[in-house]
Amino acid sequence: MIAVLGLVLGIVVGVITSPVVPTGMEPYLPIAVVAALDAVFGGLRARLDGKFDDKVFVVSFLSNVVVAALIVFLGDQLGVGAQLSTGVVVVFGIRIFSNAASIRRHIFRA
Amino acid sequence: MTEQRRPGDHRDDRWRAEGPHQGPDGAPRPERGDPDGRPSGPPPAAPGDGRRPAPPTGGRPALPPPGMGRPIARTPGPRPAAGAPGPGRPGSASADPGEVPGAPAPRPAEPPPNPSAGPPHRAPGGDGTGDRDGAGGEARPGADGESKPPTGRDALLSGLWPPRFSRAQLIVAALLFVLGLGLAVQIRAAGEDGALRGARPEDLVRILSDLDERTKRLDDERGTLERQRTELETSSDQEEEVRKQNRERELQLGVLAGTVAATGPGIDVRISDPGGAVGADRLLDAVQELRAAGAEAMQINDVRVVASTSFVDGDDQVLIDGEPVDRPFRIEVIGRPHDLEPALNIPGGVVQSLEKEGATVTVNRPDEVTVDALRSAEQPDYAQSSS
Repeated sequence: MIAVLGLVLGIVVGVITSPVVPTGMEPYLPIAVVAALDAVFGGLRARLDGKFDDKVFVVSFLSNVVVAALIVFLGDQLGVGAQLSTGVVVVFGIRIFSNAASIRRHIFRA
Repeated sequence: MTEQRRPGDHRDDRWRAEGPHQGPDGAPRPERGDPDGRPSGPPPAAPGDGRRPAPPTGGRPALPPPGMGRPIARTPGPRPAAGAPGPGRPGSASADPGEVPGAPAPRPAEPPPNPSAGPPHRAPGGDGTGDRDGAGGEARPGADGESKPPTGRDALLSGLWPPRFSRAQLIVAALLFVLGLGLAVQIRAAGEDGALRGARPEDLVRILSDLDERTKRLDDERGTLERQRTELETSSDQEEEVRKQNRERELQLGVLAGTVAATGPGIDVRISDPGGAVGADRLLDAVQELRAAGAEAMQINDVRVVASTSFVDGDDQVLIDGEPVDRPFRIEVIGRPHDLEPALNIPGGVVQSLEKEGATVTVNRPDEVTVDALRSAEQPDYAQSSS
């Protein structure tokens, strides 16, 4: 519940204050958000599996974000930033889907 | 049931292996695992036995009361589970036995499933963070859903409603706050120019060409309008010019017609005629001479002399345009003085003729002569401009 409140609060604050993202950070924010979403879905699934661990969640959340941003950064340096970020998004999308499928099985038993 | 559980147990093991600090969270898991593990324990006891030799040092004394130990072990069981996971079973066995006799027993019981069922599933999914959501997850959920159907929804609801202010909840809330912030910011940022950002290259090309076309069209329109403006400006300029010229012409004609006052260089002729010998004919001669010499405007006393001016001898005066003019006459003439004066003074000219009549003629050449006597403009009744 507190977690959900945190999410809602974050969205509300983001909408209200609409902070300006530094130009250098701009390409990484969407990737980081997708990575964090993956971590959140993974955490939700772990929660439903009954093996949720906050420490693992924190570590996976942060490492997901950092690694995703690093990959995109590396891609930018190599000149394939767009393709690499697409790849990262695809990978995270697949993971999110599989996690969502697992969560769905938990909740709807189907 | 036991088989399905085993993967779960295995998971627990993995979790423990990853997070030695899992104390708070890890604790409940063993509880779940233990009940399952025990029934399943006996069969795999053989492998478990194989391990028991490892903890022999402290384990031996604990082993004898296994039957009693189980029920007792339940409560303390979790503790060793939390503390002992990573370091290794042998180590845990050696360390734990002193505290909890029962714990080591279930513990060794769990590992066996791992080698049997776990590794194939686990190994692929074993990427650092993705452990929970690893590849192995696809196979497991079905098993979980069947084994404990209500847990999914119930767990979700129970997790949702009674809000718990635990450390985990707060940390997760903080992370989700960051995520929400990022989401909102990114969505807003993407929405600003989303129309173009999401467009395909061909669409962009089309939009660009459209814009180019529009720019060209607007440029053309601007050129047309500017041309029109220039034309209007020049035309209004021309109109103004024409108006000015008309006014000037009107004034010039007015000077000739006597409807406006005039000023300029000229001469001033005074004819004093005490004898009254100077009549209309003499005046007309003088005026004709001045006209021939280029006089542009003149007046005699207060009467303007124009083309249609008439000179008639009156009883005692001369009637100019019907107006009686008294002597002495004063003729003010605007024209080129160097032409006018000699024209009057030529031998046998006006001056000599007048002086022969006994009059005195004085010709002055002032700097400026003003002809301010006016005639009223006459509208022709029949003649109309043919231009």
